[in-house]
Amino acid sequence: MDDQGCPRCKTTKYRNPSLKLMVNVCGHTLCENCVEMLFVRGSGNCVQCDTPLRKSNFRVQLFEDPAVDKEVEIRKKVLKIYNKRDFDFPNLREYNDYLEQIEDIVFNLTHNIDVENTKLRMEQYQKENRDVIQRNKAKLTREQEELEELLLLEQQGNEQRRLDVLQEEQRQLQAKRKNKQALLDELEQSQIPATILLAKHKARSAQLETEIEQQKQSVKPTSLFSTGIQQSQTVSLVPIPRIEEVLYQYTLLKVDTYGPPAPDLGQLGRLGYLNHVRAALPQDTAGGYTTAMACHRAMQDAFSGLFSL
Amino acid sequence: MPKSVVGTAVMYFRRFYLNNSVMEFHPRIIMLTCAYLSCKVDEFNVSSSQFVANLVHESPAGQELVAEQILEYELLLIQQLNFHLVVHNPYRPMEGLLIDLKTRYPTLENPESLRKNVDDFLTQASLTDIGLLFTPSQIALTAILNSASRAGLNMESYITECLGLKQDKETLSKLYDSMRRMKIITKKYELPKPEVVNACKQKLERIHAEGLRLVLSRKRLIFPDDSR
Repeated sequence: MDDQGCPRCKTTKYRNPSLKLMVNVCGHTLCENCVEMLFVRGSGNCVQCDTPLRKSNFRVQLFEDPAVDKEVEIRKKVLKIYNKRDFDFPNLREYNDYLEQIEDIVFNLTHNIDVENTKLRMEQYQKENRDVIQRNKAKLTREQEELEELLLLEQQGNEQRRLDVLQEEQRQLQAKRKNKQALLDELEQSQIPATILLAKHKARSAQLETEIEQQKQSVKPTSLFSTGIQQSQTVSLVPIPRIEEVLYQYTLLKVDTYGPPAPDLGQLGRLGYLNHVRAALPQDTAGGYTTAMACHRAMQDAFSGLFSL
Repeated sequence: MPKSVVGTAVMYFRRFYLNNSVMEFHPRIIMLTCAYLSCKVDEFNVSSSQFVANLVHESPAGQELVAEQILEYELLLIQQLNFHLVVHNPYRPMEGLLIDLKTRYPTLENPESLRKNVDDFLTQASLTDIGLLFTPSQIALTAILNSASRAGLNMESYITECLGLKQDKETLSKLYDSMRRMKIITKKYELPKPEVVNACKQKLERIHAEGLRLVLSRKRLIFPDDSR
């Protein structure tokens, strides 16, 4: 699953694919065991870059490349501050400029370019737009709540349907069992011979089955056919008027060659053209080649396009 | 190498530089690519290693480099030709006209004697632009008429009678007009002098070296984190 090992214990990752990697703020990975080991000893420094760390800063890694995870974290933090939406801007150009700003900041922080300046810029922006940020935060939380409510409703509906289906099945099972029980009782008590009883029982169970089948397939009364026509609409049975069309006539294709007419393939021999063409060797004629073909092609090429312009 | 292959290669070369600049693509490489492609198209197949082996001016390492460049540029060339790879050269119409002359025009005794002059005219014509301006049959007809007039034979009656143009005066005059234009173009063309050629070559080399340097430095700027 993962081809990189934990940088500290190196071995454990390959042997135990269920072991998770954690990523910290500086973008380096450590497996869970090593994280605990590191903080048991009380020292909180990253193995590769020696930045002081806190245990809370470690998050479970979602992406294979730790750099991506680091960027995702930074982006979340930045977007908490820079949370304007597209309707906050008067035109598309300004919104795009704003988005570009955000990307610049995220890029700088991820690659550790110019960190102090970027942080200063962020703080400045925060101070200037404090109220806008608050408003947008409130809007965001409201939207999330609405989405969650919708999801809840859907789930409840699903649950309800499942319960209904279960109840139906139980009822049917019970009905079948009652039927069997009734048969046994009758066999015990009544005076009618057994064969007739069995026959009656079979008829009754068949009836039950059909009832169950019908219930399963109970279609909701709809008002529309599948093609969209209303069910109560009357269809007129008047025959559609016939439209007479002109039959297609085949016309031979005419190609304009913009030049004098070239002689026909069949007539080349008669007209004496073939005397001036190199005769075909027996090897050539085996493939179906005739001298007339080459001659015809040369003549066509010579005459076509002569009069154009 | 058959004449049609040469003709096709030259046409490709002209058509390519109609839409692209000499500054962007060095003509030497494009010329080799055109020749290679036209060999393939005209069924005169030459493998790429054989092709570069014929370039006697280069060392074997240089030949391999050229082979790589040819393969790189081949697809680009086809694309810039708009994938129209079939070129109608005037050589087959010329043969057709000669056959027609022999069959239908016995007044002209020996059309074979014209052949050499016709070939020369067509070679001269391929150095000019007339392959791009006139149809191949018109070029062939002009070549034949030109060599006939140089030999002192009059072929006007061929045009009027055998080509069926006795009534159609307008087409006839247009035909004569285009033939005259072709003759003027081919006559006026002369090969450029070696000094001019050398000066152009040096300019091209300089421009292409600069262009190459620019491309490399631009590549380095886009990926600054490559040291990571």
